[in-house]
Amino acid sequence: MSIESDGPQIEFSSILASSVHEMKNSLSMLINYLDSVIEHFEQDKSSEVKLLSQLQYNAKHVNNNLMQLLALYRLENAMYSLNLGYNPIVELVEDLIAQNKTLMDYKGITLDVDIDNDLYWFFDKDLLGGSLNSIINNSFKYTKDLIRISAYEADGYLNICIEDNGTGYPEHMLQDGKNQGKSISFKTGNTGLGLYFSSMVARCHKNREREGFITLNNSGTYGGGCFCISLP
Amino acid sequence: MAMYDYRGEIIHKRVLVIDDYSEFRYSVKKMLQSFGITDIDDVGDGDEAIEKMALKPYDIILCDYNLGEGKRDGQQILEEAKHRELLLYSSIFIMITAENTMAMVMGAMEYKPDDYLTKPFTKDALKSRIDKIMERKKEFEAIDKAVYHKDFLTAINICNERINNKPKNIFDYLRWKAQLCVMVGDYDEAKKIYEEVLIVRKIPWATLGLGKVLYLKAKFSDAIPLFKELIAENKTLMEAYDWLSKSYEELGESKEAQTVLMNASEISPKAILRQKSLAQIAMKNKDLNVAEKSLKAAVNLGKKSCFKSPTDYTGLANIYISRKRPDKALDILGDSRSTFTNNPEANLQAAVVEGLAYKEMGKPEAAQHALDEATQIFDFIKGSVSAEASMDVAKAFFALGDADKGNKIMENIIKNNHDNEKVIKMAEEVFNGANLHDEGMKIISDTKQEIVKVNNDGVALVQKGRLKDAIEFFEKAAAGLPDNKIINANAAQANIMYMQKYGKSERLMLQTRTYLEQIRKVDPSYAKYQGLLSMYQLLVSKQ
Repeated sequence: MSIESDGPQIEFSSILASSVHEMKNSLSMLINYLDSVIEHFEQDKSSEVKLLSQLQYNAKHVNNNLMQLLALYRLENAMYSLNLGYNPIVELVEDLIAQNKTLMDYKGITLDVDIDNDLYWFFDKDLLGGSLNSIINNSFKYTKDLIRISAYEADGYLNICIEDNGTGYPEHMLQDGKNQGKSISFKTGNTGLGLYFSSMVARCHKNREREGFITLNNSGTYGGGCFCISLP
Repeated sequence: MAMYDYRGEIIHKRVLVIDDYSEFRYSVKKMLQSFGITDIDDVGDGDEAIEKMALKPYDIILCDYNLGEGKRDGQQILEEAKHRELLLYSSIFIMITAENTMAMVMGAMEYKPDDYLTKPFTKDALKSRIDKIMERKKEFEAIDKAVYHKDFLTAINICNERINNKPKNIFDYLRWKAQLCVMVGDYDEAKKIYEEVLIVRKIPWATLGLGKVLYLKAKFSDAIPLFKELIAENKTLMEAYDWLSKSYEELGESKEAQTVLMNASEISPKAILRQKSLAQIAMKNKDLNVAEKSLKAAVNLGKKSCFKSPTDYTGLANIYISRKRPDKALDILGDSRSTFTNNPEANLQAAVVEGLAYKEMGKPEAAQHALDEATQIFDFIKGSVSAEASMDVAKAFFALGDADKGNKIMENIIKNNHDNEKVIKMAEEVFNGANLHDEGMKIISDTKQEIVKVNNDGVALVQKGRLKDAIEFFEKAAAGLPDNKIINANAAQANIMYMQKYGKSERLMLQTRTYLEQIRKVDPSYAKYQGLLSMYQLLVSKQ
């Protein structure tokens, strides 16, 4: 029996969107159950339970990548309109923390947040939230036990920085960072997509003649890697 | 260790979870229970969701956007709930999506959820989101409440008070205020706000708002470049297409208007209201292929939408008749009858077009039979039929050579809409289409004059201080012209003036409320209505 192939041409974007939807339903279940299992074993620090948290981290990683792929696809095909709002930064970061609390608690990561309650800026909540989420998830992997999130305004830009006390970004990534993610190498590990996505998000934010950008360096407060996104 | 102490008012909330995956519903219910919420219902599809919402007011609705192939989606549920006023003004509607970049494609401003939440989310994220929306709802409660009661002036006053305090989220209030100003017809103030915001930042909602205001001030050529610019920068900002198309139509460039809507429908094919507009403009352009395609889309989408309407079916049937396929017309009209059972207006429209189809088939008896049914229904429901539907009936009578009946219906439409330029223009077109130009123009001008005279006579009584006579006079006039907003407004005003002078009476208060309600149904943005509403409320609060 052959498969009928003369039906209506389905667009790749809708295949992508519906497959992602299905995959994400499974992933949602996986992640939610893992969350409750890990919470159940909160006091237990045995290696089996540690594996669960590793599992959770990886499930989230797949999830984040799926969302970024879809977002990038839409951005590059002009299928997304920037939803610019004047929003408090604190709220965005609180959401970010809530989304990752179980994992941070389990890994024993201390979070240092330095953001003025009154700091508001023009940005797309969904895009910026997605970018910060992928960056902070990367920090989970490399930090020793500390992550610092800070935000401040300087020279007409909003700067949000995520830094950790790990070993810092390797030299080739700092070089790539200078190219604004245009030539991120995907061979060097799993950070490529998140940074590429973040630089796209930054560039989408324009104000008059200026556009946003990202910077990577290792001179942060704690000596680890420091990622900053700057929006005009 | 209890990580969270979820006491406080969230535990009293009534929650509805809508998702086609039962495991997901289960896991969300678990999360909600951990916040201390006990009143949680869950359903797997849109039909059930609407049934539940119609029976019970929910405080929080968590609704998955994608509920499966061929099913109602989250946006359609939200639209129906808002359209049927099933949501409390304090209700929180959160749309759950699989991706975080689809928000803008979905609906128009008035059918937006309170927030979006991307799958998967942790219970901390859910709690944090609900808390924040509840906080925001509380801050805007007084405004929401006033808007819910269509009391836009009070809402504007609250905005003004808040804006004076220069809050951090001042842009939210400016956006609200500008929208409210548009609703009450204060276009200059709205324009000023949008322009001031645009000086600070070029932000899409402000550009769109400015374009709309220019459109409403009939400055169509000034509005067009703004909408074009928005579309160039935000290909999926669907509202901009609608307004661009409307602007072209006003300028008489209906081919351009059609092209714009065709582009928009390609990007967002599920928007039923746009499909209807596209069909209308395509009909105007005599582009039957496009009209047919979009009406078919509207009929199909309508099966899962509260915006389904019998005119989609009759429109399609009319196309089939002009294509000499009356058999297909009868089929679709049969569909209409089985879709809109117990809807006399729908049956009326179907009967009328059936008459035309039978005429095309060369069956005059069947045609006459259909029209007899139409006449019967029309006499029975007269007064509650929309101008658009009434005109369809009139058109059919003209087409079948019964000009007397047609004229009578047209006269009634004009009486109730003597000040509505759009309806008058449509009426002219109907007369022209029936080759009754001269007779039609005379009917229009005579009827208009008649109503203007009635109104002037009433106003003269008020001016002479004969308030009691004015009240009686307008009472009679309004009874015969239930949809005429000017007559109803003057009737309400006579009552209010009388009560301001001689004190409140229960009968007059009730009657005034009825007049106001009539105007609200026809045109809640009518400038005079807002003023009358404030005067009425002042009376209510007086001892």
